[in-house]
Amino acid sequence: MIPLNQQIGAPNSPLVSPGDKVTVGQKIGETDAFVSAPVHSSVAGTVKAVEDIPNFTGAKVKSVVITVDPQQPAFEAKPGKPLAELDANEIKKIAKEAGLVGMGGAAFPTHVKLSPPKDKPVDVVIINACECEPFLTCDHRLMLERPGDLVEGLKLLIRGVGADRGVIGIEANKMDAIEKVRAIVSKEPNIEVEILEVKYPEGSEKQLISAVTGRKVPPGKLPAEVGCLVQNVGTAIAMFEAASMGKPLYERVLTVTGHGIKNPKNFKALVGTPISVLIEAAGGFTGDATKLIMGGPMTGFAQEEATCNVVKGTSGILSLAPDLVDVREEHSCVRCTKCVEACPMYLMPNFIVDAVAKEEWEKAELWGALDCFECGCCSFTCPAYIPHVEYVRQAKARIAALKKR
Amino acid sequence: MSEKKFMYTVSPHLHEKGQTIERAMRDVLIALVPAAIMAIIIFGFNVVYILLVSCIVAALSELIMRPIMGRKQTLRDGSAMVTAILFAFLLPPSTPLWVVAIGAFLAVAVAKELFGGLGKNIFNPALFGRVALMISPLAIYTTKFLRPFFYKATGFFTPIQTVINNNVSGRVVYEGIGGKLYVNAVSSATPLSLLKSGRMLATSVTGPTPVGATWITPTGRPSFWSTLLGFKSGSIGEVCILALILGGCYLIWRRTIDWRIPVGIIGAFLVIMLITWNHPLYQLLGGGIWLGAFYMATDWTTSPMTRRGKWIYAIGIGVFIALIRLVSPLPEGVAISILIWNVCTLVIDRYVAEPKFGEVKKPWFNKLPVFPKPKPVMAEPKPVEQKA
Repeated sequence: MIPLNQQIGAPNSPLVSPGDKVTVGQKIGETDAFVSAPVHSSVAGTVKAVEDIPNFTGAKVKSVVITVDPQQPAFEAKPGKPLAELDANEIKKIAKEAGLVGMGGAAFPTHVKLSPPKDKPVDVVIINACECEPFLTCDHRLMLERPGDLVEGLKLLIRGVGADRGVIGIEANKMDAIEKVRAIVSKEPNIEVEILEVKYPEGSEKQLISAVTGRKVPPGKLPAEVGCLVQNVGTAIAMFEAASMGKPLYERVLTVTGHGIKNPKNFKALVGTPISVLIEAAGGFTGDATKLIMGGPMTGFAQEEATCNVVKGTSGILSLAPDLVDVREEHSCVRCTKCVEACPMYLMPNFIVDAVAKEEWEKAELWGALDCFECGCCSFTCPAYIPHVEYVRQAKARIAALKKR
Repeated sequence: MSEKKFMYTVSPHLHEKGQTIERAMRDVLIALVPAAIMAIIIFGFNVVYILLVSCIVAALSELIMRPIMGRKQTLRDGSAMVTAILFAFLLPPSTPLWVVAIGAFLAVAVAKELFGGLGKNIFNPALFGRVALMISPLAIYTTKFLRPFFYKATGFFTPIQTVINNNVSGRVVYEGIGGKLYVNAVSSATPLSLLKSGRMLATSVTGPTPVGATWITPTGRPSFWSTLLGFKSGSIGEVCILALILGGCYLIWRRTIDWRIPVGIIGAFLVIMLITWNHPLYQLLGGGIWLGAFYMATDWTTSPMTRRGKWIYAIGIGVFIALIRLVSPLPEGVAISILIWNVCTLVIDRYVAEPKFGEVKKPWFNKLPVFPKPKPVMAEPKPVEQKA
């Protein structure tokens, strides 16, 4: 089962219908809209159905259900031009054709990021190698195993967006990865490795840009505003694969972990794989697994059952045991200011909550509901156990509706 | 594959270990321990009676008020205990226990629960209780102070309290056990009231020592160490400044209180005292500014949330304390200054803008965004039928 919409942006329409034969890497969903990315089949097989199926967030998404052939031919590499000869437009086209999206979790189409507005030239490409969230180790693993491909991918991204240099930002707790990547980067004059403080949310785009370059992206603006482009480790490697082998994005590395999983592991998984298969491959659940989360512990989506499938943005599958599950009844706000101190965007989380509770949407925007990227730091630290992020989501939806009318 | 259902909650799925209201309240109680011990050393076991009465009455008030207000019991969060102890700290060590009880009830039942409980109150409950007593007919019981180590004359464990006795000149005396009266042997003015009345300045090497102010050195000033360690007259909790600073630093280290508020208050206060050259050190060590700055003004609920707001609030309190001490007839102004700024908190939080990440210049006043007005729903004009 492959959802057709795995990206931020316009929905895709199916290119296949039930009964069709598909091959590995075949495009099965596409749209004309610019802010979107096509979807490819990860297996060879027969299309069984094209229907609306709830994805990991619970929202119904048009999806292609494929009966997998017992015989799976290997993906045929289609080497294109030598990498060094590709120009910016060709790189963007490859990114779009391969359906590349940000693989940290948000799944923003890569070719869109590679096309900043004309008056906002990008000079630095930053590789986000911070592991966006605690528990996840897939980017770390990728850096250890494929540092060369990462650097090649970064070079393509630099050229694609017309930047001068690239920075790979790695948190200081991954010294082995830092050394590996450094060894390769030492041959590249315009790429460097930046060692970053270990903290959450260092892997958030705006915080990462600030840590690496000292530039601060103004509220409501994109990184191009300050001449930066941020891409995830996985995305850079996928860029390399797409350009060198013509391989579209139909598989990714993800972490299956948590105290509720018997043998936590990183997997390279095909898009569309049922997560239950991956959990079984990691030894299954331990007896006290109480929570199952798609993504990381701070921003992931809780699942009631292990029924959903891997998508391009799935960075991890996490199962928590009771030792880390701390759910309590919400107390009224005691105005302790801990959420304000914790907010990496310097917003006023509890004022947003208050505004939402009173349905004062103007105030919710005033205190920054739209600038929130839902990192969850406020709720993490809240002594009153207020789920700020949930209120912010409500505010975002309502404010968007109010502005449209 | 097991068919097990998992718990569903919204993100984030982790919570900072031990970050609870109970922990914060416990931190405050821990931070107050040194000051409490010093108070017992300086003013005897009398302090323990007052603390006990305050705690018991505060707990009972909360137990009774919560159901009346239709809320669940929250005694376990410890906020009533914090209020009770802070309230007791504001009282003179000779306050009659029945007055303590009334004040503790006012603090918890009125200032906190009637306003909606922890998180909703406008005034700092402890200060509210103290000031309510101060402006009530009971004020007489809460404005007479004992000298440090007075218990040498009365006995360490002897309860001693202020009473009114018409047979004695001045009417206010201290009563020990069995109705034994002490007239002037145990009382003393506080450093600030000495300063206010001018007696401190008049006292010189040759002049008379103010009544009871034995802790004043022959130079006419209390020694630096006696004011810092608390060997002076004053309220129970305010005297030992060293213990207060110790506890305050612990709270800042634990991130239970915000450093901006004590820094802002003491800083602003000191600046004004330095400009007007009004015994800056004496002013700083003489009264309750440390207790106020670390434990009262930093109250979560009654201080502003924004960083800018906190600075405004803190500097405002510092300036007000200085002004009250310099130009009003009152010797002390900490309680009233903080209560005034407690009210201002509402306005500050509404109107002072907070710069977001990436906002370099931000005006100081909030401007609400304006959403487009909903389009008026008008009846579609019916197309006029064309006649053939």
